[in-house]
Amino acid sequence: MHIAEGYLPPEQAAAWFVVSAPFVVHGSRALVRQIRTDPDSKLLLGAAGAFTFALSALKIPSVTGSSSHPTGTGLGAVLFRPPVMSVLGSIVLLFQALLLAHGGLSTLGANIFSMAIVGPWVAYGSYTMVRRAGGGLGPAVFAAAALGSLATYGVTVAQLALAFPDPASGIAGALAKFGGIFAVTQIPLAISEGLLTVLVVRLLSRTSRDDLRRLGLLRPAAEVRA
Amino acid sequence: MLPAGSAASVFALDIAAHTGPWRNRHPAEKALLALGLLVCAVALPTWPGALLSGGAAAVLLAAARVPPVVVLRAARVPLLFVATSTVPLLVSMPSPARLAIDPAGLPVAAQTAGRSVAALTCLLLFTATTPLSDVLPRLHRLGIPSAVTEVAALTYRMLFLLVESVRAVRQAQAARLGFRTWRTAYRSLAGQAAAVFVRALHRARRLEEGLAVRGYTGSLAVQVAAHRVSAPFVAATMMLLGAIVTTSTGLVSPW
Repeated sequence: MHIAEGYLPPEQAAAWFVVSAPFVVHGSRALVRQIRTDPDSKLLLGAAGAFTFALSALKIPSVTGSSSHPTGTGLGAVLFRPPVMSVLGSIVLLFQALLLAHGGLSTLGANIFSMAIVGPWVAYGSYTMVRRAGGGLGPAVFAAAALGSLATYGVTVAQLALAFPDPASGIAGALAKFGGIFAVTQIPLAISEGLLTVLVVRLLSRTSRDDLRRLGLLRPAAEVRA
Repeated sequence: MLPAGSAASVFALDIAAHTGPWRNRHPAEKALLALGLLVCAVALPTWPGALLSGGAAAVLLAAARVPPVVVLRAARVPLLFVATSTVPLLVSMPSPARLAIDPAGLPVAAQTAGRSVAALTCLLLFTATTPLSDVLPRLHRLGIPSAVTEVAALTYRMLFLLVESVRAVRQAQAARLGFRTWRTAYRSLAGQAAAVFVRALHRARRLEEGLAVRGYTGSLAVQVAAHRVSAPFVAATMMLLGAIVTTSTGLVSPW
C-alpha cells in the first residue's frame, strides 16, 4: 500500500525522510562493504532488486473480487536480510514511483519506512523467532511474509493517522478509521501473501536448493520439510 | 524496445519518455521543471499553489505530447488510493462505536486530494518525459554511493526481462487452465515467483561470467549520452516557478 504522491503534508513528508535516512545509510554502507569484499555480489544484488520489483507484477486474487500484488517484503527479508532490503526496497520504491507512478517522490521517505524498513525487520524477526522456537521452514516463512505485510499496512495506517488525526477522537480515532477502510483488502492480502510465499519457498527448495543454501535459507546438507 | 503486450503497458511511462519529443533534453532541465513544480504543489498553500502547479504540469504534458491514455492509465492506482484515503477525512469518530459525517472535514479532504492530484501530475510530467536510464548514471552526483547507483542500474536492466518472464509464464499457465480454481491459481502464482527467482539468479551468473572474461574489476561504467543544458529552457522554468510562488504567496498573505 503506497502513500500517493503529495498526500502527506510537507512537514510530515520531510520528517519521514529524516526517520528513514539512518536505516538506508546503514544499509548502503553494508552494501558498499559487501561489494568491496566481493565485486561479483553486485550482480546478485541487482538481480535481487529486479526480483523484488518483478514480484509486484504478480496478481494475487483477492476475496473482494479484485486483485492485488504482494509486497515481497517477507520473502526479500528472509532471502537477502533486512539491511540489504532497506537499500533494495528503497531502489524498488523509487522505480515504482518513477516507472509506474505508484507512491511518489515526496512520500518516498514514508513509503521506505513502512515497506523497506519496518516490513523487512518484522518479517525477519518473525522468521528468526519461529525458527529458534523449533518451527519448520514453512511456518517461519508464512509468519515472515504475513506479519511483514501486516506490519507494512499498520505503519502506513499510523502514518496517515498521524497526518490526519480525527477532530473528535484524535490519533486513536484516525487509526480506527484508516485501519478499518484498508483492512478489507490488506488483511486478506497479508494471509494470501503468507500462503503464496510458503508455496514459493517450497518450490524453490526443490528446484534451487544450492541458491537457497548460498543465501543461508537452507543449511548445508540439512533436511528441509517446508 | 519491449514488444507490445502487458509488459510494454507496465512500462508505458518509460516508453513514452524514450519516444517523446523531449527525449534529448538534459534530465536536469526536466527535473528542475517537473520537480520544481512538484515542490510548489506540495509546499505552497494548496489553493492556488497546487492548482497552478498541477495546471502547469498538465499543460506541459500536452506540450511534451505525452499520450493522454498513458497518463490516465498510470494515474488510476494512485487516484484510487487518494479517493479511498479521503473518505476517512469526511467522517469523524466521536465515540468508538459511532461514525458521523463531518462537514468540517470537507476543506481538509479537498485540500489533501487537490495537493495529491497536482503533485501526481507533476510526477507524471517527470516520469513520462525522462527515461530512468538517463537519471540513474547521474545519481552519484547527488552524493549517492556509486555501488548503490550501479546496483540500481543493474536492477533497471534486469527488471524488463523479468516482468516479461512473469507475463510469459502467466500466459502459458492460463493456456493450461492454471487459474481455474483458487488452488491452481496459487500454485501458478508460486510458479511465476519461483521462475522469476531462478531466472534472476541465472541472469546474474551469466553476467558475472561474461564480465569475468572481459576482465571485470568491479567497475560497471557505461557511456552516458551527452545532452546540453538549454539556457532558454532553464530561464523559462525559473520564470514559471517564480510566477507560481509569487502568485500563490501573494494571494494568500493578505488573508
